Amino acid sequence: MSTRVVGQSVPKKDAASKVRGSRKFPQDFNMEDQLHAKVVWSEYPHARVVKIDISEAEALPGVVKVITAEDVPVNEYGIIIPDQPVLVGEGDKVRWLGDRIAIVVAESEDTARKAGRLVQVEYEPLPVVSDPREAMKPGAPLVHDERGDTNVFRHIKIRKGDWAKGLAEADVVVESYYVTPYVEHVYMQPDAGIGYIDDHGRVTVISAAQWAGHDIPQIAQMLDLPQDQVRIIVPAVGGAFGGREDMHVQHLLALCAYLLRRPVKMVFDGSEVMTRTGKRHPYYVKYRTGATSDGKLTGVEVEIIAESGAHASTSVPVLEAGTSFAAGPYVVPNAKVDAYAVYTNNAVTMAMRGFGTTQSAFIYEMQMSKLADALDMDPVELRMKNLFQDGSIGLTGHEMPEGVGIKEALRQAALAGGWKEEDGRWIRPDLGPPSVAHKRRGLAVACGLKNVGYSFGSDDKATVGVQLALDHSGDIERVTVLTAACDVGMGAQTALAQMAAEALGVGYNQVRVSLVDTAKAPDSGSCSASRLVWIAGNALVRACQEALQKRDQILMAETGETFVAAEHEFRGLSVRETTPYDAETGMCVPHFSYGYTSQIALVEVDTETGETEVLKFWAVQDVGKAVNPEMVRGQAAGGVHMGVGYALTEEYIQQEGVAKTRHLSDYYIPTVMDMPQEFTSVTVEVPDPTGPFGAKGVGEMTTLPTAPAIISAIHDAVGVWIDEFPATAERVWRAMQDK
Amino acid sequence: MPTLSMIVNGKEVSVEAGAGDLLADVLRDELGLIGTKVSCGEGECGACTVLVDGLSVTSCIYPALKAQGREVTTIEGLPQDGQLHPIQQAFVDVTAPQCGYCIPGMIMSAKALLDENPRPTREKIKEGISGNLCRCTGYYQIVEAIELAAERMAEKGGAR
Repeated sequence: MSTRVVGQSVPKKDAASKVRGSRKFPQDFNMEDQLHAKVVWSEYPHARVVKIDISEAEALPGVVKVITAEDVPVNEYGIIIPDQPVLVGEGDKVRWLGDRIAIVVAESEDTARKAGRLVQVEYEPLPVVSDPREAMKPGAPLVHDERGDTNVFRHIKIRKGDWAKGLAEADVVVESYYVTPYVEHVYMQPDAGIGYIDDHGRVTVISAAQWAGHDIPQIAQMLDLPQDQVRIIVPAVGGAFGGREDMHVQHLLALCAYLLRRPVKMVFDGSEVMTRTGKRHPYYVKYRTGATSDGKLTGVEVEIIAESGAHASTSVPVLEAGTSFAAGPYVVPNAKVDAYAVYTNNAVTMAMRGFGTTQSAFIYEMQMSKLADALDMDPVELRMKNLFQDGSIGLTGHEMPEGVGIKEALRQAALAGGWKEEDGRWIRPDLGPPSVAHKRRGLAVACGLKNVGYSFGSDDKATVGVQLALDHSGDIERVTVLTAACDVGMGAQTALAQMAAEALGVGYNQVRVSLVDTAKAPDSGSCSASRLVWIAGNALVRACQEALQKRDQILMAETGETFVAAEHEFRGLSVRETTPYDAETGMCVPHFSYGYTSQIALVEVDTETGETEVLKFWAVQDVGKAVNPEMVRGQAAGGVHMGVGYALTEEYIQQEGVAKTRHLSDYYIPTVMDMPQEFTSVTVEVPDPTGPFGAKGVGEMTTLPTAPAIISAIHDAVGVWIDEFPATAERVWRAMQDK
Repeated sequence: MPTLSMIVNGKEVSVEAGAGDLLADVLRDELGLIGTKVSCGEGECGACTVLVDGLSVTSCIYPALKAQGREVTTIEGLPQDGQLHPIQQAFVDVTAPQCGYCIPGMIMSAKALLDENPRPTREKIKEGISGNLCRCTGYYQIVEAIELAAERMAEKGGAR
């Protein structure tokens, strides 16, 4: 499809104000007469709260109120299951360090902080369960005893084909045990915001969010208010990566404003973000893969235990998504998968780039790397033999929809990385000598795929509006796109503006995108699941078509009107069906659409220290249509950044539910010096006919293959498999000693 | 409380500041210069980078009173006559900002670097921003933006 604005790397709508420093983030807002709030956090990972004494704190001059559980109209919330208390009251339990006892509101932040230390809490410590495998055993301490007699709150079963035969008749079986780490999102803008009562009496919060529209029912329920009495405004958001799907400050600020009828500001410090907000799920995985001697997969048997931490958050859909990709982008005729979501007293785990599929990509790609090794077959060739194409039958018995670009992505990656294809055989390049004698080079490939949009029969939908200002002859002068879709940095507003300009035949600069304000813009759903380009784009293109029809009617009727508005609600289910997991077999149609990716890492491992350096990296992504190629490259590089940290350095350490990683200085995200010296991004465009202009999604999938590519490359270099990562220098060194 | 007098973005300012006050808070809360961002609050991430007498400092741990009599430059001080500084313009042109929270600090580190070394190698650019963390971009477009800015500024006759 030939396009004019879509496909161009136009400047991001927000770029100029961001480089000026003038664009406001939540902590940049201040209001007349505002108060400041600080949270009093739980001091134990599992304990009964016996007594809370706020008298000393409330007596401190400048303190306005110490809010406790009894002040909360309906003291429960949760993004999917309302299993979290807003504040834990006397007689109730704290279940992790991120539970809250009180909110201190004072005239200054300093006073609020000081008063917080004066709140006296008496706890009765309870037994802590800090390993999900222990938590599954009978007799383990129950984290949510009110929700039943087990810590397991979701078990997914997949039974496909004859799974026992699939492994029994294999020529080769690869068996592994993997542990993927807890990691922190590290969005650079700490959670912050301001709550107030607006001129219409609505409880209003200015804050970061990923789905403003979904914060509203949670807050309305908590305050026992009608939903139209709650308003969320989302200014510039300093990153999210899934970590802002759950509310961190929104409900607390709403509560403060509701109770005090004055503006209340709250800003988390870096340590609060590190120790009191959610993380990525660790997976504990038993995995067996069977294949014929010529490299055809015959079956897999997988057990996944996903640690949810103290509350459910989005664990159920995270695990559902992750499990649906347990075998990756490969045709597997026979499969047995069991996956469990389990409560513990560790940090809550929640959505994070990939939504459970990043962990899956690690396990299925490590299995493929090991299988190639066991078969003495080139890893590209092995993958090529088994990869999906249009119409392939996936793990849950579904047909892969049109637009499968994974073979092309792998082919492009392999060619870029130096492989040669000769008569269907793939031949890897010579790596050349290491930089110094005690280092070893290694090269490896990995693949991945990520669903676009919500899954398993969810009625995922987006509403987008468009307004046209016409001149007297009916030409479009200016366009406003109305959407409450949050732009957390990836450029959703820019992509939507480009698609509007394309659909309406106007220039990119004629289009502006509304601010995210639930009182003024329609709900386009969440900024998550790599969904906005696909689903909000679909809604927008249709709204534009309707607006153009209305404009033509005005011109024909010669009414002289100069304003046209249209709004469209697009439902994903209207173009592709999805269905929930069958309870016994797991068979289903899981997802609407997919993006595909393949990456290659060239590493050098120091045999004396175990340290790994990523020298070169190739990232190929099939996005259907790159709406803005430079933004796609930025997503690829950012996804790889997160994957490099995941693979090598990032680890959120807890002991018996107590965070040992407390500050950013204890948690090593890659600096510019830690990134691959050479990075090549290649974008492939295999269109999805249901996507706007053929587009799929890009945000999440760019992280998926990075860790298994790097860790497989470590094996290629020094012959050790690091199945429990990050592959820190110490872990690699120890593995080399044990070899 | 003592009066802190300093030159901020070319203008003399006087504010009350105590011994415990940090430069970032004075800039943001007293002077309304919100372009200076605070993230980790422990001098680790570089989001709060400003220039003091031309040298980059992490203002979230820099005692405000230490700036007494000194010249402080923040991101708001870079544009001239409303026009973006060449570093800022290059960041826009190569799509460097994603969420943008680290970007003012990145640009200030780049400014300190290019003031000292107008034609740095790629390695020197990386060293120059190695104290600035970014979680969105993987840094490549940021490094390219600084290279582009250096090139453009050299064509125009040096950094200003």
